[in-house]
Amino acid sequence: MQIKQEEKNGILVCYVTGEVDINTSPEIKKVFDKLIGAKEKKIILNFKDVSYVDSSGLATLVEILKGLRSYGGKLKLSNLSTKVKNLFEITKLEKLFDIVLEEEDAVKALS
Amino acid sequence: MQIPSDITYIRKASREVENLLRSNNVDDSLIFDIRLSIEEAIKNAIIHGNKKNRKLPVYISYSLKDNKFNIEIEDKGSGFNPGKVQDPTCNENLRKKGGRGVLLIQKLMDEVKYNDRGNKVSMVKYIKKNKGGCDAN
Repeated sequence: MQIKQEEKNGILVCYVTGEVDINTSPEIKKVFDKLIGAKEKKIILNFKDVSYVDSSGLATLVEILKGLRSYGGKLKLSNLSTKVKNLFEITKLEKLFDIVLEEEDAVKALS
Repeated sequence: MQIPSDITYIRKASREVENLLRSNNVDDSLIFDIRLSIEEAIKNAIIHGNKKNRKLPVYISYSLKDNKFNIEIEDKGSGFNPGKVQDPTCNENLRKKGGRGVLLIQKLMDEVKYNDRGNKVSMVKYIKKNKGGCDAN
């Protein structure tokens, strides 16, 4: 699992590659703990290259969202595969997260 | 198959099953669902059943026959009552950690049964195969 960060119009876009599961969640949490510590305001998580997410990955994303929202930070998820998006629908986490189809939709919404 | 109660073995076990499914041209979407269900069940067995005691094994047995995939996962714990797991989809539970693994298993597999003690889960998925699979004759 890898996370590449890129700044676009004052928004931090994080490109995640690989699997977000019980093994990789601690790494993601670590990266976001730093961003939350720095009070990063606007973040997009681009999941284009995420092939798999498990319940531990979902729980970690919820923790990240809670951390960001604690100071008014905003998070959008984009480019989810059909299978990964289905997990957000089953668990109803789609109600908690802002999920958009494409990264550019998220950039427009946050700009 | 038998694995120790160590989370690094979860993927090793699911990969073995995945290889069987791939060699039988099972649809990628079904492999995703089965892999996730297996990993959630093994994770529950390791963490909640065997309390991460590495010395306690998790037993996994599976078969693929007549387009029906069966798998049983058993731990050495005292068991749990799946009916008492909090519903993670309720608004008040959405931000909490527990219950999503059990829910995902229930939704992604076709049949799910727990034994009376609650330390063994049996799951079934009916299989469709990828087009392009080549049958002899």
